[in-house]
Amino acid sequence: MESLLDQSSLFLQQLVNGITLGGVYALIAVGYTMVYGVIQLINFAHGEVYMLGAFLAYTLVAVVGMPFFPAFVLTLIICAVLGVVLDFVAYRPLRKAPRLAALITAIGMSIFLQNMALLIWGSQIKSYPREVLPAFFSEAAITMGDVTLSWLQIFILSITLLFMIILHLTIHKTRIGMAMRAISQDKTASALMGIGVNRVISFTFAIGSAMGGMAGILVGLYYNAIFPTMGYVAGIKAFAAAVLGGIGSVPGAMLGGGVLGIAEVMGAGYISSEYRDGISYAVMIAVILFKPSGLIGKQLGEKV
Amino acid sequence: MPLFHRNPRILFLAILFLAIILPWVPLGVSSNYLLRVLTTAVLYMILALGLNIVPGFTGLLDLGYVGFYGIGAYTSGLLAIHYDLSLWVILPLAAANGALWGVLLGAPTLRLTGDYFAIVTFGFSELVVLLIRNELWLTRGPMGLPGISAPSIFGYTLSQGWQYFYLALFLLLVVLVVVVRLENSRLGRAWFAIREDEIAAQCCGINLIRYKVMAFAASAAIGAMGGAFYAKWFRFIHPDMFKFWESILILCLIVFGGMGSISGTMLGALILIPLTEVLRTALPQSMFNARYLIYGLLLVIMMRLRPEGLIPFQLSRSRKAEQAKARLLGGEE
Amino acid sequence: MGTLLKVKNLSKSFGGLLALKEITLKVAPQQIVGIIGPNGAGKTTFFNCLSCLYHPTDGEIEFDNTPLATPVSNSVKKRVRISAIVFLILGFIRLPLFWSFFLPKTFFKVELFLLGIFILSIRFLLVRGLLRHEIWAWGLMFIFLLSDVCFALLFLTRLDPSNTFFLTPVPLHYIAIPWGVAAGLFGFYFIGLLCTQNVRGLFGFRTSPDAVCRMGMARTFQNIRLFYNLSVLDNVKIGRHGRLHSGLGKTLLKTRFQRKEEVAVEKEGLQFLRFVGLEDKAFDLADTLAYGEQRRLEIARALSTEPKLLLLDEPAAGMNARESENLIQLVKNIREDGTAVLIIEHDMKVMMNLADYIYVFDYGRLIAEGTPDAVRENQKVIDAYLGGGKDVC
Repeated sequence: MESLLDQSSLFLQQLVNGITLGGVYALIAVGYTMVYGVIQLINFAHGEVYMLGAFLAYTLVAVVGMPFFPAFVLTLIICAVLGVVLDFVAYRPLRKAPRLAALITAIGMSIFLQNMALLIWGSQIKSYPREVLPAFFSEAAITMGDVTLSWLQIFILSITLLFMIILHLTIHKTRIGMAMRAISQDKTASALMGIGVNRVISFTFAIGSAMGGMAGILVGLYYNAIFPTMGYVAGIKAFAAAVLGGIGSVPGAMLGGGVLGIAEVMGAGYISSEYRDGISYAVMIAVILFKPSGLIGKQLGEKV
Repeated sequence: MPLFHRNPRILFLAILFLAIILPWVPLGVSSNYLLRVLTTAVLYMILALGLNIVPGFTGLLDLGYVGFYGIGAYTSGLLAIHYDLSLWVILPLAAANGALWGVLLGAPTLRLTGDYFAIVTFGFSELVVLLIRNELWLTRGPMGLPGISAPSIFGYTLSQGWQYFYLALFLLLVVLVVVVRLENSRLGRAWFAIREDEIAAQCCGINLIRYKVMAFAASAAIGAMGGAFYAKWFRFIHPDMFKFWESILILCLIVFGGMGSISGTMLGALILIPLTEVLRTALPQSMFNARYLIYGLLLVIMMRLRPEGLIPFQLSRSRKAEQAKARLLGGEE
Repeated sequence: MGTLLKVKNLSKSFGGLLALKEITLKVAPQQIVGIIGPNGAGKTTFFNCLSCLYHPTDGEIEFDNTPLATPVSNSVKKRVRISAIVFLILGFIRLPLFWSFFLPKTFFKVELFLLGIFILSIRFLLVRGLLRHEIWAWGLMFIFLLSDVCFALLFLTRLDPSNTFFLTPVPLHYIAIPWGVAAGLFGFYFIGLLCTQNVRGLFGFRTSPDAVCRMGMARTFQNIRLFYNLSVLDNVKIGRHGRLHSGLGKTLLKTRFQRKEEVAVEKEGLQFLRFVGLEDKAFDLADTLAYGEQRRLEIARALSTEPKLLLLDEPAAGMNARESENLIQLVKNIREDGTAVLIIEHDMKVMMNLADYIYVFDYGRLIAEGTPDAVRENQKVIDAYLGGGKDVC
């Protein structure tokens, strides 16, 4: 039997890993939740934006030879643009169409993007070569007994926290954030109040996609494995996180992401690592069945 | 001609009859290949008809159809390996198993809104595949399930490609009869009502949950039966055959052909499946793996340009209405 | 002459917003009762409560001597919640401590698992009886379901499928277990039903909208809700749904009963269309009808459910003078045929011509009621709605 100290340090290490993963899920989940808030559509293609972010950063750094931080910023911009284009091409023409049509389009886009990536980059797993990354990433920053916190993890956590704060401030303190909140409550009334609904929706897509892309870069760094189907699974998990926190609620997505990340790492460590993905599916199904409004979200009824 | 106009089912049977003639065209080696393609097309027609009941008739997006397909295949495979049963026992058992899981999954989840229901069905099918892959004691997981015995009908064991083709055709006919009868009945109308407007349907006396679960179970039963046939035909099944992409492919077939219309669904399968085979030979292997790119694009384009599909639902309804009018005014009044 | 519909002190609030406050209303058989009031006064909300699309916050509705919604006393609710929490805690404490650690492995046999499922089904079904009627019973059922799922999962982790009383090959259990669950559920369904009959009286309950329709209350909607992609006749046929009896079996086997029913439905559907004057459009798509015709179709569909009471929500909206007159005649015919009508309308000409009795809503309250003449003279009504001193009709 392992000593109590070993057990607790294992637990703490898992916790740290879980929080890091949770932060990543939160980043992706926020994108889902914001889009659902404004247009009531589950953007299935969001997972693919995450994957493309990872691939773009990899291509810029490892293939083109750009230094890391400029590549990081450039990828964020490209992902934001990609999100806006996605909305413009696929979702905007179907604003007035029945829900089923929009859902099918979203799935179609997701599949298209995934296979596009498969075509362009092939199915081999890509990793960053050691040299191109800033050296300090792989070093351990803080060590307490057997628990280590690497600089990479600190980078991920701090960037995640920073952008969450920026997002929160944007939504609650700026005009466009107020517009986003207005549209999520009543689109028609917002339009009548003079809000450029389409522009705000594009902006929402831009931010959500940028954050999703950032999550992709971070995960690509953390696990050092990039492949075209990574968006598929991460997308579903992030959606589970968004639902867990309450779809439509940004703090809910952050909370849900954290909880899900910790649950997944703990579950994989203590219960079974084969059903690692299954844990997310099970959590998602459970939340949807028992409390569809999530931890924080509000229940919406239909007007007859 | 008036015969065809009166009953389009006869028209389709005529087409089917022609399809039966095809395998007899002696083309040497390639005829076996053609048979296989046609049998696959017929199988997908069966599956598409099954899926059509849920998004097509009832208006609920089901992303987890492959779960039932897999359940049917593994039920049939396991039954075949552990027992020695006739095909006519295995097929209904697999269908019943599918229906049971349809009810178990549907009852709690069908009260959710459309988006959530779609996600839950997706999660379910992923869990099914995960279970198949990991529960080695049951399904031998990634090693697959080889050595499934060939189907035996009244003692005679099938071995030739054309025999499987006729079997598939027969199953298609059975499913077709079932679906057509459902469409023109109180049950079918209830499903259409739910699709068009749930609240109005409730106020017409339709119990939403009951009918949604029935639709889901019916679709699951047909999917499972298709899976059972597949297991007995291929005689080897493996978890990789039941990926999420299959659900999307079948969804694509019905979206392309016309969601809700029976002939549209079958036409969609008849066009797209042979097309897949053409792609398989025409494209290099690496590109072929990305063939779903085309399906994804197809979904997006169809929704944008012609969401009703090739043969719109309204067309098939009004055609039946014309027949009904003719019958009423000419006949029984 | 009894009362067909009796509403007592009905209140409905959405969160903080009080939409209806203490509405008391009566409709007698074959009576035409009108409801008028400014927009936003809660009239459609009232109809939605009558159809049981909403659950009233307070008050009673009784239709045809059957209660549709009765209030639930708070002490009862509290008792139920407390017992639910106790059950839950017991369940959670019991499971991990006891099952997984203290019992020997031989205890975990497949048959015992199935037996456990059967027993849990009883508890499930006891609550299920409430489910149909009371919205918060859902919470109770989910709590039980959660606890039972945990039991099942933990049992399964200790369960070895080869550990049985009977000797059958391993894979069959995987198929047998869900069948066992299903058999348990169906098998104990009737026991659960019997047990829950009395429970209904204890707690309050709410009927579902489709049951309300089958009881004989049909309605139309303010924003027309037709089945647009179906034909006109199909719309009416769907209205007949509650009065037909062909189920899955009869449909699949295409029995004589089913075939006869289909022929009858077709004829009856055409009859109802004839009644509203849409017979020649029977096979057109509902989408293609003009606005006035769509309203008439909705009325035909509501009539085909053979209601005792018909709720009309602003049927004359958007109609010109001639169409309104036809509508007045149509509603009078409906009353002649034996159906009572409860009608919301802004068009005063229609209302004064039709109604035997009028209720006036304003800000969710009843501010006046009486015969059309009395209401016309009533000062409160004039101030709130008709506009002081203006000529009405």
